[in-house]
Amino acid sequence: MNLPPKTYIIEAEEAASMAKSKNLTLPQLLPSLIESAQNLANPPISNFAVGVVGLTSDGRIFFGGNIEFPGLPLHHTIHGEQFFITNLAAHAAGAKLLYLAVSAAPCGHCRQFFQELLGISDTQIVITDQPQENPDYKPFSSILPHPFGPFDLLDENTPLILEKHNNQLTLKDGDFIIQDKKTCDLPNGFSDLNAKNEELLKTEASAAARGSHPPPKDGNFINQDENTRDLSNGFCELIAKNGEFLKSEALAAARGSHAPYSGCPSGVALMDCDGRVYKGSYMESAAYNPSMMPVQAALVAYMVAGGGRYERIVAAVVVEKEGVVVRQEDTARLVLKHLSPKCEFRVVYCN
Amino acid sequence: MANYIISASDAESMAKSKNLTVPQLLPSLVQSAQSLARPPISNFHVGAVGLSSDGRIFFGGNIEFPGLPLHHSIHAEQFLITNLAAHGGGPKLLYVAVSAAPCGHCRQFLQELRGVCDTQIVITDQPQENPVYKPISSILPDPFGPFDLLDQNTPLILEKHDNKLSFKDDNFLTGKFSNLSNLSNGYSELVMKNEVMLKNKGLEAARESHAPYSGCPSGVALMDCEGKVYKGSYMESAAYNPSMMPVQAALVAYMAAGGGGYERIVAAVLVEKEGVVVRQEETARLMLNHVSPKCELRVAHCV
Repeated sequence: MNLPPKTYIIEAEEAASMAKSKNLTLPQLLPSLIESAQNLANPPISNFAVGVVGLTSDGRIFFGGNIEFPGLPLHHTIHGEQFFITNLAAHAAGAKLLYLAVSAAPCGHCRQFFQELLGISDTQIVITDQPQENPDYKPFSSILPHPFGPFDLLDENTPLILEKHNNQLTLKDGDFIIQDKKTCDLPNGFSDLNAKNEELLKTEASAAARGSHPPPKDGNFINQDENTRDLSNGFCELIAKNGEFLKSEALAAARGSHAPYSGCPSGVALMDCDGRVYKGSYMESAAYNPSMMPVQAALVAYMVAGGGRYERIVAAVVVEKEGVVVRQEDTARLVLKHLSPKCEFRVVYCN
Repeated sequence: MANYIISASDAESMAKSKNLTVPQLLPSLVQSAQSLARPPISNFHVGAVGLSSDGRIFFGGNIEFPGLPLHHSIHAEQFLITNLAAHGGGPKLLYVAVSAAPCGHCRQFLQELRGVCDTQIVITDQPQENPVYKPISSILPDPFGPFDLLDQNTPLILEKHDNKLSFKDDNFLTGKFSNLSNLSNGYSELVMKNEVMLKNKGLEAARESHAPYSGCPSGVALMDCEGKVYKGSYMESAAYNPSMMPVQAALVAYMAAGGGGYERIVAAVLVEKEGVVVRQEETARLMLNHVSPKCELRVAHCV
């Protein structure tokens, strides 16, 4: 299958013609894309690459691969299926997941996380490493009989992942919480520029996800200007310029967060050294522990848009409610400090 | 005092007095298990009761930690398994009764027990008069498990683990704790008196740790304000994320021994290898700072 190397989304038209050219239906096409999905994985601890490919009701194909983080406890790991769901949630709101192909039997943690998708019991799944000539699709319900799920705890009307979430949140104060007087947090005279660039940033991110946009070159840091103020990572001006956008993206992510169990939605926005911003929403599981942390969700967005090394991430904002029963701040700081030590980390509280 | 373990002879006589077999007795104990749960976030009490192959009955309840991310939660089934592991239960878990359908995370963690597909499970909130036991394999068909990654001879949870570990420097026994007078919680004398035991228990826990996937065993020892020490071992899952963190495991030992409030925990030691691919230190510190702010975590590296 000749897909561009880092393809995370195939649009409906392209998917249809791909299938047609091989004389296959779309569901029949998915298993042939598994190897491509496995190539998206980055599992340096296990070296066990898992690939996930799925077809939505609007004809698009989404991909996922597992990501491991050496040096951190294992619960920070992103499974292929969770990567996939995060990718889906970011780009396929309103659609349903119809077919799913995975390179190995999903673990129980993932079978559980999938319960957060409306109608998952009817989604058809095929496991491609099964020792069969033509592995067959079977309903997802068959791999997690008698599940524990959202409606064991929630009202049937509560939106699930892929359904519209619009948590009514606003930022608590207008500014960043300034942690260090030396850091520059200029009044933003660049809102026009941000607004102008916002669409471009989004389009570029989507284009990258479709594999048509080459990922940023490694080490392609912006030349440091001697007049740049003294932030330890040298990206002071860039952060000042994009600070408001970074905050508003994190707030948007918190607004889209799926947190019906704790009532503690949160979002993270990351900015790379080119000024591009990526956002991710916290997504809870009815079973609590499999919940997807917002930093991880934002890292998925980063990878889907072409990614690169984690050290390219120079600023991060977490938006969450203050002093509530589930708090991401300390853990988010820990993860980011580990992956990108020079990343400027801010928390902005919301109501 | 709450029951966390029933001895084999007590289990037998309890069953006999009700004219039941021991497996038939378990469902009637589930409510008792639910009362051990501390779930202030969900208020959803889950109880798990298990019959070990050595005849003892073990209990577990779910524990939630307000203020921390949800992955710090201890599920009742994980509590049960940790309780079993801490008290030499097993080597097999024969029967388990749970108050609600185990979630996928737990069905996965259970795979770390050898032969768990044959373990019989009954879910007591099923809308049936007499809920019936069925094999665990029926609730997690075609599982992803330890032997998808490991050799069949690798010991699993409840089987003997003896990681060959020792402290990194011999001087460690006095090294890191040399600034005890700086302990702000007022327990410096107690800690000084027990520090050797605390560190050794931490090392013991690391030696017993089930970490075949990362090769990074670790253990935690906690000391309460009376000088009692409790240990817990890190236990990995083949699926990584459901792994049981060592602080949580030690808290299970604390609770199963009649523990009490977390603020009674005044000192802690984490023993793990230095600079390896899976490291508990920062997360352990974050967690302990949160549940018992006056408890300081010291780390002892082992090799």
